[in-house]
Amino acid sequence: MTCVISLENLSKRYGERTAVHDLTLELAAGKVTGFLGPNGAGKSTTMRLILGLDRPSAGRALVGGLPYRSLVNPLRTVGALLDARAVHPGRSGHAHLSALARANGLPGGRVDAVLERVGMGAAARRRAGALSLGMSQRLGIAAALLGDPPVLMFDEPVNGLDPDGVRWVRGLMRALAAEGRTVFVSSHLMSEMQLTADHLVVIGKGRLLVDAPLREVLERSSLTAVVVRSPHAGELAGRLRASGVAVERTAEHELVATGVSAERVGDLAFEAGIRVHELRAREASLEQAYQELTEGSVEYGASERVRV
Amino acid sequence: MSARVFRQAVAAEWGKVWSVRSTWWCLAGGLALMVLSAVAVGAGAATDAVREGGGPIVASEPAVSATIFAQFALVALAMLVVTAEYASGSIRATLQALPSRGMMLAAKAVVVAVVLAVAGVVSALAATLAVGMVLSLEEFGGMVTMPAGEIAQDVLKAGMYFAMAGVLTLGAGLALRSAAGTLTVVFMLLLGVPLLAMMTGSSVAVELSLRMPLFAGLAFMGSTENLTGGPMPYPAAEGLGWLVLWTCSAVIVGFVVLRRRDA
Repeated sequence: MTCVISLENLSKRYGERTAVHDLTLELAAGKVTGFLGPNGAGKSTTMRLILGLDRPSAGRALVGGLPYRSLVNPLRTVGALLDARAVHPGRSGHAHLSALARANGLPGGRVDAVLERVGMGAAARRRAGALSLGMSQRLGIAAALLGDPPVLMFDEPVNGLDPDGVRWVRGLMRALAAEGRTVFVSSHLMSEMQLTADHLVVIGKGRLLVDAPLREVLERSSLTAVVVRSPHAGELAGRLRASGVAVERTAEHELVATGVSAERVGDLAFEAGIRVHELRAREASLEQAYQELTEGSVEYGASERVRV
Repeated sequence: MSARVFRQAVAAEWGKVWSVRSTWWCLAGGLALMVLSAVAVGAGAATDAVREGGGPIVASEPAVSATIFAQFALVALAMLVVTAEYASGSIRATLQALPSRGMMLAAKAVVVAVVLAVAGVVSALAATLAVGMVLSLEEFGGMVTMPAGEIAQDVLKAGMYFAMAGVLTLGAGLALRSAAGTLTVVFMLLLGVPLLAMMTGSSVAVELSLRMPLFAGLAFMGSTENLTGGPMPYPAAEGLGWLVLWTCSAVIVGFVVLRRRDA
């Protein structure tokens, strides 16, 4: 599947405020790409630009090499969930999907098929305004799946879902990517992203901060480290520093070494004949790695509020 | 290719119109207002005719006058086709499925025009029949005639007027997006401004307001009188011309905003 999304120097300004600044990136097929950033970082704007809902101030967003507005039957190419509540409150979910299906020449059977896949059942016949947030979220996901598209975008898909729903969405994202589709998901829930995403795109204040595989982001974090307990911690720290390893003594008998593998620390200790009681690799959580990445790019951070 | 896209778009919009209750309320409201105000206008005219010794009234004439009030129920239907989507945010789903703004506007315009034309014909016909029935009562001295040809013409023209008023409202809705704003602007354009202009008594203001959509429509529907009591200063065909001009202008403004503003 060659239907990927590419952003070329994409920018969007609203008057004085720059929502998205010079964003260049390409989303790969067959992967879940997590889209992270603080509130107001420009995630939703970026998605709206991809979908041709907003006009870019500069640059362009292409889907399979074409601008969204020039796609014929676009739901067959890109499915997107932006805002689950964006359905006429008086129209049933089924009627909402039927209209979208008709607009793109999709057979009526698709509506029932996607409703089945998201587990909506009888709720699809109720007025959309009477649905719980969780059910609305499922309806939104059903709309995204309607055209069986190779590219899927979800803005905060687990909002309002219960733990079962969250697990279901995670499984769905993984399954969609495994089918070779391009899956682009924004979320605030770092722990969820750590379980779902293969690749991460992080933006702050509209600028690209990171475009890297999840593994790499976690490894690069200063919080990914090797923890060593030894009765001769002081001596070991000296040895490690002499070999160019950054070490911090966190307790009487404990050291934390960064930028080095557990194997290397163990070998160095062995060579020096120093006893080691515990040696373990500690991996940063995505939450921690993310915090390091976005420090200073929080749009409405506490420091700013203090100044006001 | 684009003919197929257009057919799909019309099918989608058609489905949407009939899947919300507000459509039925607007249609029922339009029908009720047409019948009630036509009977009221007809009864008044018949009473005058009896007292002043005038001739019988063509049953469809009060129905034409009734459009002045009844139009707002049907115009609300046209308005909701756009403003309800902006209010709920579902306009973004619509544009995701149909990113060609022109195609979306055209599909909505076709659906609004067809629904309002049919609704206009049906409610004008119902109003005409009601007027015919009520005015043939003893009390009104049977001051009513029902010439089939004339009635057919009036009723069809009423349908055309509603269709155009609906498309005009659609254009205003796309330009303004909010229901309150659209309703205010359309009400002022159709009724408020011309009435205020007439109140000034200035002949220029009166001449101009007679060329605004409502009076242009009344002229087109063959109304021999306007609210000032005088005859229309131009023929029916010219009324149609002004009406089309207003409608096209509103659609163009709506289209420009739709194209340029972020959804």
